[in-house]
Amino acid sequence: MSRFRRGHVVARSCLFVALLLAAALLMPSEAYALTTNKATARPNENGGSNVIGGLATRLTWEGTVEDGESVSSVTLVLPEGGTFAGSSTKITALDGLDRAAVDGFATANDNQLVVVFSQPVDEGLLIRLEVEGMAFPSEGGDVVVSGTYENASGTQQLADSKPISTIANTSLQMLVATLDEMEAVQAWNSNPFLGMFFKPQLLVTAFSSLLPGWLLCLVIVVVAYPFAIALGLVFAFMKISRHRLVRAIAIVYINVLRGTPLFLQIYIMFFGLPMMNVNIDNNVLGVIVIAINASAYLAEIFRAGIQSIPQGQYEAASSLGMSYFQTMFNIILPQTIRRVIPTVTSDFITSYKDTSLLSSVGVMELMMFAKNLTSVSGNMTPYVAAAIFYLIVTLPLIKVVTYIENRMAHAERGGGPRPKAGERSAVEEAASDDLAAAELSTHFEGLGEGQLAPVPVFARMAQEV
Amino acid sequence: MALFGKGSKGIAAVDVPPAMDAERAARLGYTHDNKLSKHAFMEGEHPVVRIEHLNKTFDGQTQVLRDVNLNVWNGEIVVVLGPSGSGKSTMLRCINLLETPTAGHILIEDEEITGRKPKDVALIRRELGMVFQGFNLFPHLTALENVMIGQTKVLKKSKEEARAEAVKQLTAVGLADRMDYKPPQLSGGQQQRVAIARAVAMHPKVLLFDEPTSALDPELVRDVLNVMKDLALHGDMTMIVVTHEMGFARDVADRVVFMEGGVVVEQGLPEDVFDRPKNVRTAQFLGSIE
Ligand SMILES: Nc1ncnc2c1ncn2[C@@H]1O[C@H](COP(=O)(O)OP(=O)(O)OP(=O)(O)O)[C@@H](O)[C@H]1O
Ligand SMILES: [Mg+2]
Repeated sequence: MSRFRRGHVVARSCLFVALLLAAALLMPSEAYALTTNKATARPNENGGSNVIGGLATRLTWEGTVEDGESVSSVTLVLPEGGTFAGSSTKITALDGLDRAAVDGFATANDNQLVVVFSQPVDEGLLIRLEVEGMAFPSEGGDVVVSGTYENASGTQQLADSKPISTIANTSLQMLVATLDEMEAVQAWNSNPFLGMFFKPQLLVTAFSSLLPGWLLCLVIVVVAYPFAIALGLVFAFMKISRHRLVRAIAIVYINVLRGTPLFLQIYIMFFGLPMMNVNIDNNVLGVIVIAINASAYLAEIFRAGIQSIPQGQYEAASSLGMSYFQTMFNIILPQTIRRVIPTVTSDFITSYKDTSLLSSVGVMELMMFAKNLTSVSGNMTPYVAAAIFYLIVTLPLIKVVTYIENRMAHAERGGGPRPKAGERSAVEEAASDDLAAAELSTHFEGLGEGQLAPVPVFARMAQEV
Repeated sequence: MALFGKGSKGIAAVDVPPAMDAERAARLGYTHDNKLSKHAFMEGEHPVVRIEHLNKTFDGQTQVLRDVNLNVWNGEIVVVLGPSGSGKSTMLRCINLLETPTAGHILIEDEEITGRKPKDVALIRRELGMVFQGFNLFPHLTALENVMIGQTKVLKKSKEEARAEAVKQLTAVGLADRMDYKPPQLSGGQQQRVAIARAVAMHPKVLLFDEPTSALDPELVRDVLNVMKDLALHGDMTMIVVTHEMGFARDVADRVVFMEGGVVVEQGLPEDVFDRPKNVRTAQFLGSIE
């Protein structure tokens, strides 16, 4: 019994599907008296090319009146959340390239826009409706404009438009919209300089859209740097090695990397490796190039740092019976590290800024985003935003460098009041601010050695694009 | 450098006999030093440090030490005097193997230390404490850590043991209240006392001092000298002290050695050398000093 009933249900659903299919086949698009040609929306993203939901924009809808037909009114319908409220509609009819006289008026009714023509629009004409000040649903997504029209035989369904892709309206976009409205902002932007470099709307947009690029910069340099430090130490030790060959390798490595632009090194790595069928992810390769480049500079910094430790330190350590490695790791390197922290920090700043060169080979870092946004908006503000992103990191670090240098100079002076004897050496040490003097002082055993003297900052050659 | 220098610059290789056997050296040493030192010799005693025919040439041309012979006995305080450039520091540094002798022998407790492998050199050096003119404290470590680090890293003592020893030695040099100071926060005199404590804490067989007070302001010299006197008189430390402090030499030395031009010109009891110098140069030097 139940089996019989189930069969009955199956038969009935089959019939229903068949009917649906038939209906679909019997309703071809040619059946429309008014064909929808297109529906497009003007981008309303400040400095971008997106259509944002919930914000005023212009919808352009076009449809052609088919042969033997005439259309007396068109009603456009937006999905729930879209609105025509407050919009103004421009009605145009085109006969080929000619403008045909068509009159009418539009009534906006929440998500419906009813356009009634004074006289029915004749066959062959293209109706263009430009609805200024309408808004798509705030949640974004693909929006289809549907609706109805009236011809001689009554109200007909309008074919759905192709979907218009829109993006959700975020608080950021609402902020931009608010800024757009503000008179102060408009006045600000009317100044050519301020409007070109410091347009508030674009600044806001840029901050959010440059963020991923900035984070990538940070990730690249933060991941690269420990490797650079390790490599730099290795090459520093190689450069002071007793073995000539080891020394030569280090010298070549350091000089080639310091003597050629990073830009060139980037090109060689990014274009050379793929040619050898070595394919590494762009970001990883970026890390590698930055690490290798920085390691050469760090090697020199470490080498100078190690060699700036007075000979007396080695002698004191070895007269305690320490081995070479014990001396290095317990006595020399801890002091070296203290001495080179400011220089290494400066070098870190340089490496961080150098990540910008990776934009030239398609790494999606800060400059890349800034360049893109600038070319879309035709405004320099994104570059200013990028500058701010760089400065967020570099300015505090520069402060840190200054602070450490001052503290070291202070410690060198004895870190506060102390008996007279120390001061003499501090004065002499203050004069010996460079390596030559540091080396000299090792010959004058004892005068001020053991005091911390900052290693001179080895200015990197400017690496211009 | 030395490779090129020796032959080409025409410096004659010094003909040095092999190190004497220990018994003979001890006997000869005793005969030689007996009347020159206040040291109380014991029956059949061997010297702690034995320097035989020590020669040192820098860069293959500057001969700084010429056939220096010297014995230093257990517990003896030897003060080395001499004008600047006479090779005093070089001799000390040779004993410590901070310089490699060009020729000759240095023996510590009858064991040859010259011509050894780097690994042995480190082992030998821990037996020889050195106090430098320029203190050479480790500036990144506190006074206490300076005194501890050799004990923990070289002697492999536990932290607790090393700390206890360091506290003891720093207290002995009068720095119990400065143990957590770093060198730059200490006066020169205090730094040098830390350096002495650092050397003593290793309990070396011999303590070498290279002009420990000459980088100090006059008012700080006394503290350091007092510490050294203390060590000399109350400890059983063997000390070789290069200094220009004549008072210290007179009061503390068991024997005074006068060097000039890389040669030991004269040696003897302090009162003999100071009041009745045999050598003209010694007399001139002492005259110019006092
Ligand atoms: N590393 C070196 N290379 C070349 N010559 C050196 C070196 N060290 C020392 N000398 C020379 O050896 C000679 C002796 O030096 P040394 O330091 O032993 O003298 P000193 O007796 O300790 O003098 P001072 O009382 O001034 O300390 C000097 O002429 C010095 O120039
Ligand atoms: Mg000297």
